[in-house]
Formats: sequence, C-alpha cells, structure tokens
Amino acid sequence: MAVTTGAALADGLRAIVGAEHVREGGSPVDGVVPRWSAAPASIEQAAALVALAHDAGLAVFPRGSGSTLELGHAAARVDLVLETRRLDAVLEYNPDDLTVTVQAGCTAGALATRLAPRRQMLPLDPPGWSARSLGGIAATQASGPLRLRYGTMRDLLLGVRFAQADGVLTWGGAKVVKSVSGYDVPKLMVGALGTLGVLLELTLRLHPAPDYESTWLASFRTPAHAQECVAALLDSTVQPNRLELLDSRVLAVCNLPVSAAALVISIGTVEPAVRAEEGLVKAIVQRAHGTTETMGASFWRTYDRALAGFDGVTLRIGTVPARLVETLGAVQAVLPGAAMAGAAGLGALRALITHADAATLLEALERLRATVGEVDGAVIVERAPRAVRERLDPWGPVPAAALTVMRTMKTEFDPRGVLNPGRFVGGL
Amino acid sequence: MALSASVVAALQRLLGPAGVVLTPEGRLTYESDMLTLYKAAPDAVVLPTSTDEVQAIVRLCREAHVPVVPRGSGTGLIGGATAPHGGVMVAMTRMTQILELDLANRCATVQPGLINLWLTNAVRERGWFFAPDPSSQMVSSIGGNVATNAGGPHCLKYGITTNHVLGLEMVTGTGDVVRVGGKAAERAGYDLTGVMVGNEGTFGLVTAITVRLLHLPEAVKTALASFASLVEASEAVSAIIAAGIIPAALEMLDDAMIGAVNAAVGKVYPDGAGAVLLIELDGPRAEVEAQAERVAAICRERQALVVTVARDEAERALLWKGRKEAAGAVGRITAAYLLQDAVVPRSRLPQIMREMVAISKRHNLLFANVFHAGDGNLHPLICYDDRKPGELERAQQANEELLHACIALGGTVSGEHGIGMDKAKNLPLQYAEADLNFMFRLRRVFDPDGLMNPAKLLPSHPACGEGFRPSRPTLPAGTWV
Repeated sequence: MAVTTGAALADGLRAIVGAEHVREGGSPVDGVVPRWSAAPASIEQAAALVALAHDAGLAVFPRGSGSTLELGHAAARVDLVLETRRLDAVLEYNPDDLTVTVQAGCTAGALATRLAPRRQMLPLDPPGWSARSLGGIAATQASGPLRLRYGTMRDLLLGVRFAQADGVLTWGGAKVVKSVSGYDVPKLMVGALGTLGVLLELTLRLHPAPDYESTWLASFRTPAHAQECVAALLDSTVQPNRLELLDSRVLAVCNLPVSAAALVISIGTVEPAVRAEEGLVKAIVQRAHGTTETMGASFWRTYDRALAGFDGVTLRIGTVPARLVETLGAVQAVLPGAAMAGAAGLGALRALITHADAATLLEALERLRATVGEVDGAVIVERAPRAVRERLDPWGPVPAAALTVMRTMKTEFDPRGVLNPGRFVGGL
Repeated sequence: MALSASVVAALQRLLGPAGVVLTPEGRLTYESDMLTLYKAAPDAVVLPTSTDEVQAIVRLCREAHVPVVPRGSGTGLIGGATAPHGGVMVAMTRMTQILELDLANRCATVQPGLINLWLTNAVRERGWFFAPDPSSQMVSSIGGNVATNAGGPHCLKYGITTNHVLGLEMVTGTGDVVRVGGKAAERAGYDLTGVMVGNEGTFGLVTAITVRLLHLPEAVKTALASFASLVEASEAVSAIIAAGIIPAALEMLDDAMIGAVNAAVGKVYPDGAGAVLLIELDGPRAEVEAQAERVAAICRERQALVVTVARDEAERALLWKGRKEAAGAVGRITAAYLLQDAVVPRSRLPQIMREMVAISKRHNLLFANVFHAGDGNLHPLICYDDRKPGELERAQQANEELLHACIALGGTVSGEHGIGMDKAKNLPLQYAEADLNFMFRLRRVFDPDGLMNPAKLLPSHPACGEGFRPSRPTLPAGTWV
C-alpha cells in the first residue's frame, strides 16, 4: 500500500531529491500554495517523484520558468509542484546534424547562447522566449513571429522523453531529422500541458541562422489595406521569415509611428537576396497603399518585451490570413480596449486586454468563438487571473467526437488523474 | 477466414455490385503493395465514394469482427496494404475529389484517393504546389502519403507529409467520424492530427485531408557533382549542411546506380564516378545564385571530379529523370533486391558508407545506392538473385547488419517508407519496452478491438500485448508503508 501520512510522504520526497530540494509549500502557482515543491536533479529523480505522487494520489503540477501558469482551467489541486529548473543541461549538441538534445528546464535563451557560435538557432520565439523553459514551450505550444517560416514546436520536436503518470520513463520519436518509425508520440506531447506525461528531455531540430536580415515597418490607413498587403505577399515569391500585424495600440507600446494597422516584415537569407527582396516588398506595400520604413534588428527585442511585459488578460486567437479584418473588427466590437498583434501570414493573433471583468470576457469569448468558429478556429485564454478563469472555459469548445478521443486518451494514460488534473480541455 | 454471407450482402447493399470485389482474380490485384514479399489477398475489396460509406463499412466490420485494411494506390514499400488476416480491404481509388481549394489561406482539402501530383497540377498555374514529393508522386495517393507520413527528395527543406497536414477527417476503429485540426492557426486540445499522420491505417481510415499549399519559388537551380567515392561525396554533404545551407534536395547515387541509370535513360550522369550528388536549390533568385556558388565551391574543395549546373529546365529535368527512374533502372543490374530505409545522423554518412562497403564485401552482394543524403536517409538496394538458393537469406542478413549499424550510430529504422509488416520486428532495436507499450496503448485508444490493419506497425512483442507492465522507477525505502 502506498504512503498515506504526510510525514512518510515528506520522507519519500526528501529521499528522492535530497532534503534541500523539497519544500513544504513553495511559491503559489495559479493562486494556490502547493503542499510540496520539489526540484529534481535528474530525469530518474523526476520519474521517481511522479511515481511516488501516483501511488500517494497526489496531483502533480509541472513547472518550468513559470511564465504560463495561468493557461488552462484553474487548478483544483496542487499537491506537488515538480520544478524542472535544475534539469537545465544541454545533453548533446550535434552542430553538423543540426540537432540538439536538452533537458526540459533548459531555457530557450541558454540554448540560443550555446548555438550562437555555430550560427545556428532554434527558431521558437514566443513572447519572453529567452527566459522560458523549452519543456514549457513544448507543453504550452507557445509560438511567436518566426512561426511563419519555421513552424512551431510541433515541427521542431524530433524526440521526447517523459515520465508517464505512474512514473515510467518513456521515449518517443527519434534523434535524427527524419523518422517514421512508430507513432509520432512527440506530436501528442506538444501542447498537452503535461497531462499525458511530464516532459523531461527534448531532441530538437535546429536551423542555420540567416547570414543577413532586414526588417521593415509597413504602415496602412486601414486594416483592410494591411490585409490586402498580406494577401499579396503570400501570393508572391517573397519568403519572409516574419510577417506580423500590429494594431495602433501595440504600435504605441513599441514606440513606433501609430497607424490604423501596420505590418512588420523581415527577410533573412544571404545579403544580396535580402537586398533584392527589399524592392519587391516595398512595391507590394505600395500597391496596397502603404508606406515602408526600414527598422533596426532591435525591433524584435522591443516587440518581444512589449508582448511579454503586458499585464492583463491574453487571448490566443486562431483564424486564417484572409480574415484578419473580420477578426480585428470582432475583437474591437466586444473588447474595445484590446490591443492586437500576431502572425498575419498564418492568422495566429494575440489580443491583450488590460481591463476586463469576467462577465464581459465571458460574453466576448462567446461571440469571438462564434466568429472564428466559421473557419474552425479557436480562442484560447492564454493568461487571466484565476478568479476570471473560474467563470469561463479558457479553451473553448472541442468537437464532441474529437473530445471523446482525447478523454479516452487521458483515461488510458492517466487513469488516476495525477498529471495536471482538470486543467486541460474538457476538464481533462 | 471467409466473410459471412450476411456481411457480403450488407456490403453489396451499401456499395452496389460495382463497389465490392469478391472474385479471386479481382482480389489478386490487392494481395500486396509494392513490397511483394508479403502477399495475402483480402476476403473482399470495397470501393467507397464517401465518408458515410466508409463509416458504414467500418461499423459493419466491427460488428462482424472482421479486419479492415486500407489501401491507397498500393505503392507502399512496407507490406502495409496487404491482408494477412483476411478481412475487408477499403480501397480509396474512387475518393479522388479536391473538396476545396483555398489559395487565399494557402490550403486545400482533398479526398484520400487523390493522386499526390494531381493536387500540384491543379494549382501550379496559379503559382502554388503541394510540397511532399515521394518518388511515387505520379501514382501514390495523398491518403497513402498521410498513412505512411511519406517523405521525398524535397523534404530536406520542406519537411515530410506531417509538416503539411493541417487537418484530417478519420473514421476510427470505433466507427466514429472524427474531425481534427483544420485551416485555422490555433486549436485547443491534443494534436490528434499530428499523431494520426503516419498511423498506417491502424487507427482508422482517413476520409478527408486539409493540406498546406506553398507558393512556387522564384528560382530553382540544380547542380551535379561527381566524386571518386561515396565517402568523399558524403563528406561534401556534411560540409554543405555545416555551412548553413539547406538545399531543397540533396540526393546521392553510387557507381552501380549511375551505371544502371545511364543504361536505362541515356548518359545523364558522368561515367567513371564513384558517386554523384544531385543538389537542388530553390527560393529567391539571388539566394539561389549565391548558394549555388558556395555549394559548387564546397564540392570542389572536397575533391569533386566534375561540378555542373543545369543551364535550363530541360537539363534540370534530365538530371532529375535519372534520379526519379533509378528504382526502375535497377532492373538492369539485378533480378530482385531488398530496399533499406534507415536513417543515420547526417554527419555519420561517411562512416556508414564505409560500413556498407564492408557489409557488401562480407556477403558478396551488390549494393546499389540512391538516397536522400541531405537528411541521412539511406536507400541501398541490396541486390540478390532469387533463383540462387540462399541468396535471399544472405541479402536479409546483410540488410539486418546494416540496420543494426545505423541504429548503433544513433539512427532510426525508417526515414520515410514506414513500418508495415516489414519492419515491425525491428522496432525493439530502437524502442524500449515502455516506449513500445505506450504506442500499443495509443493504438488501442483509436482501435479498441484491434481490427484496423492488424499485424502492421507494432511488433508481436510482450510489450505490445494486454496487461504488460513496464518497469517503474524504484522508490526509496520508507516511502511504502
């Protein structure tokens, strides 16, 4: 029989990670002070913690950098916070293969520093990326501007090691850039919020950093003109690596000239090609009645800080590039104070809202979900205070048949509800 | 196991007489895919035209406890579309419609039987293409590409099928129609689309696919470099990638293959070379020009014998013609061959090539190589004479030895063909019991009765059976009372 008393449990946790790495309580997550916090130093220790939690009936809350603790349903129980901060090693970097294996607690910034001397990069740049753990970026499927060219974590995660709900260490995928050996388990783990397994090691595909990059600001009198420009760029041979839409509020926060809507476009490749593409980009912007100015590379840091530093409610809005205007309009109609920005070429937008009470947000979500629902899109509450999230569904509806599969999946892999219970879609 | 008369009658009622193939000679066509080592005809072949019909078929088979085996164009190389347990084969050859073209949002939705190249043909004039390009793309179906997560020469730059699939509709083993993913950029819930791609029909039958379309590049440049040996050519591949250049395609042929291709389609590759590299760059014109120069310089530094760049579309097509017809050309040098699909980390190519030469000598067998060097995906054709007793066994032995060598270097069993019946036994080389068990349970989520394409993808191994318990971490003493 498993441990039942608090004292025996504490002894168990200390025996696994050492007394100095277990705390009773710990910093609150999602407004809840956990019973225990533990920081394992190895994947074996992490797996043993999960096994112990499983046997003792504890709810495990994996925590990386703590940037995205408010994603999902409010946590009903937080028995054990499993901190990955000590699992921060770069285990195997193979520059000639453009692959790297890291522990889940390694931050994207630390990895970038390691890759820079070889002019390589992991092209994942969600807001505040530098301080975020790679395990966290995987679990939350967070993305940023570079998604346009390089895809998201789902396109870059080649292999993953995780602890199942009963602590069994499991590997999925491969360590090479191309593999179809068995099911694509890494895809299942991306964006699952740790509800099917605690992510411990990631093997990632890297890209060469571009030789040269230029960035331009294109300003427009109306969002419709910006949309026209996006359409023209997508239907051209120009290959931007970022194509971000910024509304007037985000422009102001970034200290840029304010217009009704702007696009920030960057192209990264060999220098002569960037110069040649610049002419094309300017011509396309002009045809859409916009004006272009060249920006410094530092813009992307400013933009990152502006999005990451925002204090309030954040929504991830998934639509399509041909419906940017409708989506901006729909947001303004229901949340007049919202600031909007995002990957225009994909229709992946963020709405940032400073003041919104739960009732307003509840109604806004319903109407926005109906709008993006026409293209099977989603509106996900990425960040909101617990009191607000308790009153609404942060994920939105999932079609019944798909939700049934997800529920069967969760029941199969975590029948006791050990891993982040209740926080995922449908209360999984 | 023959089908019961009532199941046959129900299928005929559902699909009409033209939609059900029952005669022995009719079913013979469906006994194998392109890997003819595995032959087993289904008890019936059905040819549905809609999702509703596919769902009705699966429900009927589920009630009668009859296996369901999907088939696209039958160009698979792994014994995936074959029916070792009999049952009903669902051929998607009548589900070939493009359901929606949405170029403004860079995507299309198609039925699974649509031929890969037909999609590109439908959008090319407007400047778009569908990137996954398996060598079979003129005949293979997109549903089959999704089932096997197919690759192709250009996936070096563009990624394999899964990177281009946005959403799916699948009739799962429970008989439910499940729609997942779609054209919008965000989605709540598990990435079921991602885990369904590459399921080889073991989760269910895909009935509609939403795919990403890409804009055609401004320029394409194809170059050819010949080398004295495979090892030198492999070193050039590593050097190109290490220089930060990801060509659209980076293909290699060895001397045996060069000879076969030249004999089959005319002299397209230089004689006397131990290996040729076919390098394709695409993108903005200025980028392609600059990178072509660097690639040529790297090849020369690595002792290339000849470096040539195709001057026009005709020359480019000719260089590719040799590559695309290589598998057919090999008929000139051997009666039969085994085709390997393992991957090694690309920096290990020179090492695995040396190993391959040693294995070839040890078994006195000819290896002909034509493969995706850029991502380390090997495709040696291990040639044997099936009329000589024992030669197949020797070829199989050589094949296994090479596979072990690839895994030992950190590689994977299959890069793009898939597992099917052929490679299931090899998965334990790469995965521990806990990993296999996880995959077995994942399969059961979609197919609780084990009726969807049985005997494929997972090995018969205790970890892939009911009730198996992988070993758990040892808990410290004192945590149990």
